[in-house]
Amino acid sequence: MSRLSLPRARSGSAALVSAVAALALALTGCSSDEGSASADGKITLTVGTFGTFGYKEAGLYDAYMKQNPGITIKENPTTVEGNYWTALQTRLSGGGLDDVQALEVARISLATSEDLADAFVDLSDAPGVDKKDYLPWKWDQATTADGRTIGLGTDVGPMAICYRQDLFKAAGLPSDPESVGKLWAGDWAKFVEVGKQYQAKAPKGTAFMDSASGLFNAVVSSSPVQYYKDGKLAYKDSASVRTAWDLAVKAVQGKTSQGLKMFDTPWQTAFSKSTFATTVCPSWQQANVQQFSGPGNKGKWNIAQPPAAGNWGGSFLAVPASGKHVDEAKKLVAWLTAPEQQAKVFQKVGNIPANQAAYDLPGVVGYKNAYIGPDAATGLIFSTAAKSIKPAETGPRAGDLTGAFSTGVLLMEQNGKTPEEAWNATVRQIDSTIQ
Amino acid sequence: MASTTAPSRNGSAERPDTQPPPARPTGPSAWRSRLHRWDTKGTPYALVAPFFLVFAAFGLFPLLYTGWLSFHRVSLYNVDRAEWVGLRNYEDLFTGQVSHYFWNALLNTFTLGVLSTVPQLLIALGLAHLLNYRLRARGFLRTALLAPYATSVAAATLVFALIFSPEGGMANWVLGLFGAGPLHWEAGRWSSQFAISVIVTWRWTGYNALIFLAAMQAVPRELYEAAALDGANRWQQFLHVTIPALRPTILFTVIVSTIGATQLFGEPYLFGGQSGHQGGTDHQYETLGILMYDQGFHSSMLGRASAVAWTMFGLLLLIGLVNALLTRRLRASQ
Amino acid sequence: MTTTTPVPHSRHRTAGRPSARAGRAGGQHRAGPLAHIVLGLAALASLFPLYWTLVAASTDSHAVVSSPPPMLPGGNLFKNLTYVWHNAGGRGMGVALLNSTLVAGAVTVSTVTFSVLAGFAFAKLRFRGMKVLLGLVLSTLAVPAQLSVVPLFILTKNLGLSNHLGALILPVLVTAFGVFFMRQFLSQALPTELLEAARVDGANSLRVIWHVVFPIARPAMAVLGMLTFVQSWNDFLWPIIVMNGSTNPTVQVALAGLGTGWSTDWSVITAGALMGTLPLLLVFALFGRHVVGGITQGAVKG
Repeated sequence: MSRLSLPRARSGSAALVSAVAALALALTGCSSDEGSASADGKITLTVGTFGTFGYKEAGLYDAYMKQNPGITIKENPTTVEGNYWTALQTRLSGGGLDDVQALEVARISLATSEDLADAFVDLSDAPGVDKKDYLPWKWDQATTADGRTIGLGTDVGPMAICYRQDLFKAAGLPSDPESVGKLWAGDWAKFVEVGKQYQAKAPKGTAFMDSASGLFNAVVSSSPVQYYKDGKLAYKDSASVRTAWDLAVKAVQGKTSQGLKMFDTPWQTAFSKSTFATTVCPSWQQANVQQFSGPGNKGKWNIAQPPAAGNWGGSFLAVPASGKHVDEAKKLVAWLTAPEQQAKVFQKVGNIPANQAAYDLPGVVGYKNAYIGPDAATGLIFSTAAKSIKPAETGPRAGDLTGAFSTGVLLMEQNGKTPEEAWNATVRQIDSTIQ
Repeated sequence: MASTTAPSRNGSAERPDTQPPPARPTGPSAWRSRLHRWDTKGTPYALVAPFFLVFAAFGLFPLLYTGWLSFHRVSLYNVDRAEWVGLRNYEDLFTGQVSHYFWNALLNTFTLGVLSTVPQLLIALGLAHLLNYRLRARGFLRTALLAPYATSVAAATLVFALIFSPEGGMANWVLGLFGAGPLHWEAGRWSSQFAISVIVTWRWTGYNALIFLAAMQAVPRELYEAAALDGANRWQQFLHVTIPALRPTILFTVIVSTIGATQLFGEPYLFGGQSGHQGGTDHQYETLGILMYDQGFHSSMLGRASAVAWTMFGLLLLIGLVNALLTRRLRASQ
Repeated sequence: MTTTTPVPHSRHRTAGRPSARAGRAGGQHRAGPLAHIVLGLAALASLFPLYWTLVAASTDSHAVVSSPPPMLPGGNLFKNLTYVWHNAGGRGMGVALLNSTLVAGAVTVSTVTFSVLAGFAFAKLRFRGMKVLLGLVLSTLAVPAQLSVVPLFILTKNLGLSNHLGALILPVLVTAFGVFFMRQFLSQALPTELLEAARVDGANSLRVIWHVVFPIARPAMAVLGMLTFVQSWNDFLWPIIVMNGSTNPTVQVALAGLGTGWSTDWSVITAGALMGTLPLLLVFALFGRHVVGGITQGAVKG
């Protein structure tokens, strides 16, 4: 029992060696290989996005890979921008970024600030990029104090209202875009009033709007002064924030909102269940309307002019400086944001280009959306609105503020808080996160 | 190594291969005995070294580093720049801007802890008692009860989030069968905490039941026989024999569950979807773990997150102290 | 390693109580129908959510949220699984499964190995400072990793390990629980005479460990390995911090991405949950009995 024979000893040490080797292999072999060139010289570029950028849908990745056989593109999508940003800021600090990262307009001020600007490369010298092509204010938003442009505009968010023709009809309201637009022309307060009319004769189980936080955002977005003034955080004195808040309160109290958390899964489900009649439609929202409502609801949505014009959202593509293939990534970003490609994205999912040269291409202004309307003249509606956008001042915490106010409205809708409690909670939230 | 405990046997030269023949020169022998001494003295330390190295590098050092960070202002965007702020972070937590959320999170951690551990341990105890009978399909029942343990926090929470979803969730359908609801589970303070407790309880009850079962099986049969002779029925036997015999095990599971409850993170984080990072729109199920994550990795204030971590550390020390006192009293009473 | 290696009846010794064999206390009673019903209901409650995951994952975005909820599997299981396999977390669930296997595998091998070594030293060797060191091990049992994530994050960044699986492996190469678990087992299961005999044979420490300690520790290694693997596979907080949104995720990070707004469709989300759980359930189906035994062994020491 106690005698240990030699052969066993050898097999034993062999096993030990193999175990250690396996461990070493596991430790070293598991390095992330994304973005690195593989044995056959192919390069993989990863593109981190949120919401729907439409590149995959429009077949642009495939087209680019065909043109550049050495490149493979992988998209790393997140639906909700808030979650995307939380993950992104951690990786901006720690590392492990995608080769291309999308940035929402509410984050662009922070991304161009001295805290983060160095994490991204200058794209103004990317091959084929022409400053004149882009909407000037969009270009300026992504340019740092020392003149580096770290993001190229993909789309802007001119607003319209998407509404359900069938539900409007059932509630005894007009249903053609022109008459619908007239119902609330010029004033968001009228929009809330129409909501009350709708609710009085609403089909059972439906609400006029999806979310009062959507209304809040839309009202703020249609004002030239929002959360920042003269480089300072000024939301407490902002007239647009106050107006938007009061209207949201009215919408909640009039029970005209379904009280959903925008972009959350129940919100997405509600599209397919046809439980609300309107949603604020910045151009990028069309993709959501179509995707979440599903083929079964084709032709039921239509689009009308908003009470007041404004810009909600829109994005940029940026290239992190830490990437392994910065030059290839710059090339890809320049190509994706070029007029021809933006036009294709618009035709496929509805995001209106930030590249104004795209408006002159055939098939943009004249584009009609087969799902919405059907054949609503979305090209004309959104390109006209896009050109007239007067950008509001933004600031580093704009994204957090948008999030905090959406949550604040939700506190009334979902958690039964009084308007005053909800307002105080919102202020407390903002004060506690800005050090 | 074992030689120190039995020198006489080691010295007895019954095996020729351990004693070099006297004809050989002394060189290798001296080398060999030095090697042997090294082996005896050094090996124990070499064997425990990996643990302590790992602990020093990834346990102790980070713990102290957290303390240091908690007195600084550190932004997530620039982690290498720390600015000394003294007790500011702690002031923020206890009385300042974040105090509302801190005390709320502390209370939630407590209520969620109670909601998710007390029923869980009671149910586990009852199930273990039943499992201890002679049963049909014993193996199946045990494995079935343990199956949730193999499910990850993420998978379990996602599935339960669907069950408690306001749009077509099964929980509301069941409520509807009884003419109640629908409830917006996630939005309410108690309904959300109840739902989260259900997830925790579902995952851990079977595990704890098996732990209790093992302890029950170690209770000597004679105790039951003696109790039966005294006329105790099964319930009385359970109360007067099983429970006292299980006291150390119960204490153990209580401690483990309590530590687990103070660290609750994954369930509330994922249950809230978009607002999970702050434990719901109204912070209605924000725990201390969530608060730390939110302050550090959502609001990018790592110094403040460190202060939350150290406060939790203090709390755990407190729990440990209470536990030590309880154990001592338990021992004294025995 | 070989079947001839002596393994004492460690299973019975590990309970840590000489009277363990007297157990089955209540076992003398046959359970009545009520006990069977209650246990059956408990088993149902345990298994139903798993079954329902399968049902939900086999429906589509509309059916999964219909009322009454579907109770029988639909025909979309393969479609949803394929979708998740290719798309979750950017590079698909396949990468996540591979990453989790690598991480959990490496952590398990290393934890078990180092735990046996340290456990052996604490159980059977005498050395200066042993009591203090053992006390230290015990006290670290209660220090949760959660308290250290901020500096670990900074450390990881400075080591250049962000987004690297090494960041998930290094901090848990060996745990206090493992060391303590092995110490408890070996002090019961490893006869001192065996060590002495090996020593008399002229075996040095390395050989003793390899030929005596490891073979005897084998049943406990299996149990500790299983527990470690499950725990590592299911680890959440630290991975979500270093790997959040990464294209190189573990299963849990990929699932978190699914749940916090990656997908639009509950049937796809549940398909992801199913895929992330299946490997462990399979391990359970194969070795469930060992785990059950292991948990009961590990626990009684408390």
